[in-house]
Amino acid sequence: MKVRSKVLAIVALVGLVAGACGGSGDGVQSGEESGGLSATLDGVKDGGTLYVLTSAEGASTLDPQRVYTGAELGAWGSTFARTLTSYKPVAGKDGTSLVADMATDLGTASDDLTTWSFTLRDGITWEDGSEVTCADVAYGVSRTFGSEVTAFDGPQYAVSYLDIPAGDYDTDSAYPGPWLATEEEQALFDEAVSCDGKTITFNLKVPVADFNFTVSLLAFAPVPEAQDTADQYGLKPFSNGPFKVETYEEGKELVLVRNENWNAESDEVRAPKVDKIVWQFGLDETVIDERMLADSGDDKNAIVYGGILPVNLQTVFGDESLKDRRTDGFDGFVTYTMLNIKTVSCLEVRQAIWLALDREALRTAAGGPFTGEFAQSFVAPLLTTDYAPAKLLDGTKGDGTPNTKAAIAKMNEAKEKCPEVYAKATEDGLRFDHPDTDTWKKYMAIWIDTLGAAGIKINDNPIEQSKYYATINGDQGDLMSAGWAADWANASTVLPELFGKGGGFNYHNNEEDPAFAEFQTKAEEAKMETDRAAQAKLWKELNQYVIDQVWSIPGSASKAQNIVGSNVRGAYQWLPFGWYNLGDLGLAG
Amino acid sequence: MTLLSVRDLRVTFGTADGDVHAVKGVSFDVSPGETVAIVGESGSGKSVTANSLLRLNFGADVRTSGQVLLEGRDILAMSDEEVRHVRGREVAMIFQDPLTALNPFYSVGRQIGEAYAVHHPEASKKELREIALDSLHKVGIPEPGKRIDQHPHEFSGGMRQRIVIAIALVNSPKILIADEPTTALDVTVQAQILELIAAMQAEHGSAVILITHDLGVVAEITERVMVMYAGRVVESAAVADAFVTPTHPYTRGLLKSVKSLDSVRHERLESIPGIPPSLINLPSGCPFHPRCAHADSLAGRCSTEVPELRRVGPGSSACHLPDERLLNLLGGAHER
Amino acid sequence: MIFFVLRRSFFAIVLLLIVSAFTFVIFSALPSDPAALTCGKNCRPEVIESNRERLGYDRPLVEQYGAYMKGIFAGRTYGEEGSSIHCSAPSLGYSYDRHECVTTLIASTLPVTASIALGAFVLWMVIGVGLGTLAALKRGRWQDRVATAFSVIGVSLPTFFLGLIFIMVFVIWTGLLPFPRYTGLTENPVEWFMSLLLPWFVLAIISAATYVRMTRNGILEVMNEEFVRLGIAKGLPRRRLIVTYVLRAALVPIVTIAGLDFAFLLGGALVTESIFNLPGLGKLTLAAVINSDLPILVATTMVSAVFIVVANTVVDILYGYLDPRVRVK
Repeated sequence: MKVRSKVLAIVALVGLVAGACGGSGDGVQSGEESGGLSATLDGVKDGGTLYVLTSAEGASTLDPQRVYTGAELGAWGSTFARTLTSYKPVAGKDGTSLVADMATDLGTASDDLTTWSFTLRDGITWEDGSEVTCADVAYGVSRTFGSEVTAFDGPQYAVSYLDIPAGDYDTDSAYPGPWLATEEEQALFDEAVSCDGKTITFNLKVPVADFNFTVSLLAFAPVPEAQDTADQYGLKPFSNGPFKVETYEEGKELVLVRNENWNAESDEVRAPKVDKIVWQFGLDETVIDERMLADSGDDKNAIVYGGILPVNLQTVFGDESLKDRRTDGFDGFVTYTMLNIKTVSCLEVRQAIWLALDREALRTAAGGPFTGEFAQSFVAPLLTTDYAPAKLLDGTKGDGTPNTKAAIAKMNEAKEKCPEVYAKATEDGLRFDHPDTDTWKKYMAIWIDTLGAAGIKINDNPIEQSKYYATINGDQGDLMSAGWAADWANASTVLPELFGKGGGFNYHNNEEDPAFAEFQTKAEEAKMETDRAAQAKLWKELNQYVIDQVWSIPGSASKAQNIVGSNVRGAYQWLPFGWYNLGDLGLAG
Repeated sequence: MTLLSVRDLRVTFGTADGDVHAVKGVSFDVSPGETVAIVGESGSGKSVTANSLLRLNFGADVRTSGQVLLEGRDILAMSDEEVRHVRGREVAMIFQDPLTALNPFYSVGRQIGEAYAVHHPEASKKELREIALDSLHKVGIPEPGKRIDQHPHEFSGGMRQRIVIAIALVNSPKILIADEPTTALDVTVQAQILELIAAMQAEHGSAVILITHDLGVVAEITERVMVMYAGRVVESAAVADAFVTPTHPYTRGLLKSVKSLDSVRHERLESIPGIPPSLINLPSGCPFHPRCAHADSLAGRCSTEVPELRRVGPGSSACHLPDERLLNLLGGAHER
Repeated sequence: MIFFVLRRSFFAIVLLLIVSAFTFVIFSALPSDPAALTCGKNCRPEVIESNRERLGYDRPLVEQYGAYMKGIFAGRTYGEEGSSIHCSAPSLGYSYDRHECVTTLIASTLPVTASIALGAFVLWMVIGVGLGTLAALKRGRWQDRVATAFSVIGVSLPTFFLGLIFIMVFVIWTGLLPFPRYTGLTENPVEWFMSLLLPWFVLAIISAATYVRMTRNGILEVMNEEFVRLGIAKGLPRRRLIVTYVLRAALVPIVTIAGLDFAFLLGGALVTESIFNLPGLGKLTLAAVINSDLPILVATTMVSAVFIVVANTVVDILYGYLDPRVRVK
């Protein structure tokens, strides 16, 4: 699961200043916009300084083993952290196709898909000119196990896939990571990840058909052991890409300059153009928008990390002269509400909840159509290969408004079929777990109201935000809020994770549901399917299956809007990351 | 020869409640070396008159007219810079409360030296210190060498008044205005300060204008006395005459209060019935008539017509009563 | 006098110890759990517990406080052997959120805040005392009305609003100034000055308002003092009288308040730093609040307390020098 950037979570300090108030009646509507001229390379010249304006106090991290934010995965990957494989640097659907990066090809799997090996290209160098070795890759991978440092911040695929015995360490592994490992413990890892010259081999404990996608995550990026500063590595990571970190100061700026020791010939993915990329942190969001709209001086060479303030969306999308500088599109996230199948075991009650829910009111509370579209799949529309809108439950309305009548009818059916769950839902009430935020207070009012109209009682259970996921991990309510984005361009990182056995984020307790077995069998089948088109078909069917079972109620496929300075070129939306290809951005004029 | 000649001095303060006519046409002369007292209750205009001599009446709306001629030069018509050269050099002033009159932030030596330096910019630091030491010594501060660097709060009230006097006299001014110089002091210290003023006057040859409500003080050191009431001079005479043969009924009341009450510190004169008039709404005619025992005898003239100051016997008096009755009044005073 | 200074300093140190203990207790009582913050989204409750033990948050408060105080004098090592981080004395803790020793963070943010505070302080004293003096000397005239209007507007304007207006007018609309981007004084004095110009003025205008009023009223009060009349009667030139008599007396209470205001500002100009994107103590604190970064919060609170206690002591001692009446013999 990729995480949303911190930026979106930080509450705006200042929320005033003239927003164009068009009113909702004649307001500008959200719709796909790809950035026009700014997405092309017209008039681009080499050199110059690109600015990234953001209200975030800093990056969530620069440590490759700890990055899990979509935009940052793309940003650091395209600038200073190369991986064995990565994505094709182009706009559109083609951007989700895997290409060889440090590796010579997309890797070789054993027939049973439990052994994968990759061979490093010649001439890949670190910023000090030394060669990137197989040992560096292995060392980088081993860092994920050192949870006392990497703190579960990044994806845990290395832990769940690599063939290392289970053990007592916090990761449930017998290997504690490179910092604490004894010789014997280190041997466990060295068996799972071995080097033979330039070839690195991963031994997996489960078959993984798309492990070559897994290694595109920065968690599998190399780190030279001699340069590792443990918890402080993210302050100055060692670069093997076209840019290197010159200075990084949270609250101030991150300066990326060209890495003279980057070997362009070894790199078929990156095409750097600017000399310098400067991230300016901690800017006021209102000020960022005003600067971008004014588009003067250095701000012509600026992009924004964190999007446009809702109050300014009307201005930006109502002005045709900004057509070449703005984007509006999906960010890869889907929000949904999990149902606890153990306690809400009655399908009719779950259907009634969905029918009674006012998704339109929830979206309005979130900020209206610009925030997203009503989701018809748990797979985000960005995963073009695997995405297909599911046929929704009979009676649900396309405009997101509730169908209370149909909900009451379902509840009446439930009264007959499963009186216990019916009684719980109508009398005791269903416990709804969610993070304790101001926005959620608004959402809960809507939930309680609209479900109440269908006779379903909701008990509000706010949980302190920073503890939310840890809490529901131990104790699940009847309903739980969540959001998810794919880790790579394959629904294998969505549907099995959310609904499958041992799925990293499956809190549904759905294994006891009679419908579960069929799902699990089909999901295993899909995971092992090496024909991508056939696999995609299976994912689409599985998504429809989950929707029909109402294990979760999809919320919205969230969208993000952005604006760039008038000199910026190559600012296309890179689908796997939901942001620009930072390292490839160029400047015109 | 006249040193100071005040002609028809009028001072009005504009306030939110209306105009306060503090001084309404005062004229008098002072000769070199002479000691003149201006006597009156609070609100009589005596302090305002004294302050006018150095243009020291401050406020948002102060209107002053008439002339204050110092050796023929009109102080009221001078530029600010010209007045500044008169202040402290030709005409110096002693204030009522020595506890607040000295700048608390500077040593007394510096303050004395400063008073000299203002008008003698050529003086060196060393000279100024000598002068300050000498002044302290002259006004009777013990151990001046040690105390010269002390701050005002380290001195008693009497000592501070001596320092104020030292400041006033450091430039040997032609005129020394002493505004109630002893009022704030202990009775025992009062006499010493008056003696000091008299002694210093003798040494410097300055004329002294003593502002006081205290007739005892007047008798001690002055030669001539002017009695003010409600912004006007009501009687002017040599001290000997005024004390022996007061002509104005108000002066007579004042004297009686000293003799009968023996309380020099009371500002209110209880032997005269009533209270001093409001300066905003003065009574018509003679301002003293509501408190005057003789007002009824003149068929209402006192309540309609303001009496002019005129020569009566050896002095002057501003009363409608005929001369013989004014002169006879003292007979009445002696009867009791 | 020496004894007075020593005694005041001793009390200041005692006070700081009390404040530090108090800060420690208060922050420990907050509902946010420092251990929960050390672990990413995939974290399980058991991991949080083991982290709590590892970081020492399970120990008695007194023990934690002891270790903290010891760290200030002896330095401290955080994390486990093999991946440990050493923060040398004076160690104010380690931020697992920022991956830095808190002392390092404070050392890098304090110069920024000090630069803001110093410039703003000088400006606001000049503007505040200058306008206040002008208003008092021209009482009732148009200058007085302008100064009074300035002080009313200044007091009622929120800092962030004025800051935004400044940015809009001087940076975005007219482009007269570049967007502030803090540069160290030693790196480039000109850029340092340019980056701080707007924040200085914003803070100065807001703070000066109070000083205009204080100065004006103080001067008018002193002008009625008898010793000022004596100064006039001495024949002192007006300018000298205003400076050595009136201002000298009127500024004593203002200096006292200004000292405390300055110390307060040194603790971080939160809003100004945010608006102008200056990486100072205030922003460090704000970010720490948002991320519930306890070690930073405890440290910035203590640093602010040190400034205020020190300023209080200095002002007390200074007062003795400024006003001979309270001078201790």
